[in-house]
Amino acid sequence: MDLSTLGGQFIGIIPLGDIVLYFTTFNLFMFAAVLAFTVLIAISRTESQVEAQFGTLKDREKKVGKAEFKIRRFLAIVCGLATAGAMVTGDVFDFTLFVALIGIVNIGIVAAVKEIDVLDSAFQYGIIAMIASLPLFGGAAFILASSGTLSLLEIVNIPTTTLMLFGSILLFLGVAGETGVAPFFATKAEMFRTPGSPFLLIIHLSSLMVIVRIIEILLIINKPF
Amino acid sequence: MNLMADILLNVIIAFLVGSVLFGLQRKIMARIQMRPGPPIIQHLLHTFKFFIKESAFPKTAAMPFYIAITAMLCAIWVAAVIVGPVTEGSLLLFFAIYALHKIVEHNAGSSSGSPYGKMSCVRAVFSAAAELPLFAVLIIIYLKTGTMNIGNIVTYQGQYGPLIWGIPLAAMMFFVLILSKAPYSPFAITKGKDIISGYETEHFGLLRGYLMISESIAWYMLLWIFLTVFIGGLSPIGYLIGMILISALVALINATTPILNPNHSIMVQVSLAFIGVLGSIILLTVY
Repeated sequence: MDLSTLGGQFIGIIPLGDIVLYFTTFNLFMFAAVLAFTVLIAISRTESQVEAQFGTLKDREKKVGKAEFKIRRFLAIVCGLATAGAMVTGDVFDFTLFVALIGIVNIGIVAAVKEIDVLDSAFQYGIIAMIASLPLFGGAAFILASSGTLSLLEIVNIPTTTLMLFGSILLFLGVAGETGVAPFFATKAEMFRTPGSPFLLIIHLSSLMVIVRIIEILLIINKPF
Repeated sequence: MNLMADILLNVIIAFLVGSVLFGLQRKIMARIQMRPGPPIIQHLLHTFKFFIKESAFPKTAAMPFYIAITAMLCAIWVAAVIVGPVTEGSLLLFFAIYALHKIVEHNAGSSSGSPYGKMSCVRAVFSAAAELPLFAVLIIIYLKTGTMNIGNIVTYQGQYGPLIWGIPLAAMMFFVLILSKAPYSPFAITKGKDIISGYETEHFGLLRGYLMISESIAWYMLLWIFLTVFIGGLSPIGYLIGMILISALVALINATTPILNPNHSIMVQVSLAFIGVLGSIILLTVY
């Protein structure tokens, strides 16, 4: 098996010491898409959320304040860059670090909002993300212990063992918790009720893109053929 | 053929065929419900109409995000045409494109400031959690064929027969995904009429035109992927007949079922995905 079986044409690598980034058509597309969205987020204003009021026919506008806007935009850009890194890294440990960073900044993006319901939701998501960091890094540790390397370019040539499969399951559980996808999406969906559309995009974008990438990584580690 | 001309031709075909298939769906649904229904080319006419209508932008919208998101949706599905019919690239890449589509759908709703768009946005987050497991069907195809390359999957089917017989539950999962993207479907919670037009509610004129073009291309591409990976390489006439049959079946389901409550919609999709994945793995292990 080689990497082009999954991601299409192998374009090349960027060796940065121990950290090796690799590009297939799939990785390059995801990397470019995430960067494009990050740039868009960096230059966009936020919307004013219009809500109906009880007991009157008037509407209420909810806006993002300037201080809140600045910190959320900064965190959104960090999240975008971490997601872009997770798309092209060729190292499982780097991937887990990027995913952990995505979890932390996602909590920050929502925790900056001064609304009780939203903060409750961010708190619950934060707990799940913290719990998930154990299987996330534990999974990477098992893969290292069983294969002797964390480089995907090396792992692709190593036959799959039972311990690698176990490590992959832990890794997947960790990613699911950190990104707040099913079955943890219920807490995360509540976070989207707050205004600040560009910042909410990066939360959703990072989750889905990381899930798509982890499928590639799991199929590289667990070679069925 | 020149690559650019090939891309342009395929995008135009995808848009025209997708639009007419949407019109056909509405026609069939109307006839089932004893109504005359609109002409089959109605969706196409609507799309063109929006390009000559005045564009209006809500003062509450997040600029330039609100505008860029529609162009991005178009770009994403043009990329899908390049990955699919033009280059027959990786299915995994198509999966990434679909994930991006969900993100854009989510943010087209929230960027306007409209409560209807916002509700659609929250529902899109829920539905993404259900639709992505359905997309796990791609992994089952990989486990069966040993490749993610669309061209190689077609070659595999040339040797061993259509995959729809080998992994029928996976085909069922993908069909549910197609069904959930159809207008008026029981799973179309992001565009339920209780929230007006969902994420499209506040997009007018040119922007709505872009959204409608993207929807047509998306519909064509989902049907193309289904026919290619489960039936095999077909002739253009074969593709057309297959797309018409699937669209007619979807119309029949949509005309006879109500839209589900969002929670029920997610639970049904997740349950079907669970049955599909587990059943397919058992089938792969046994045979």
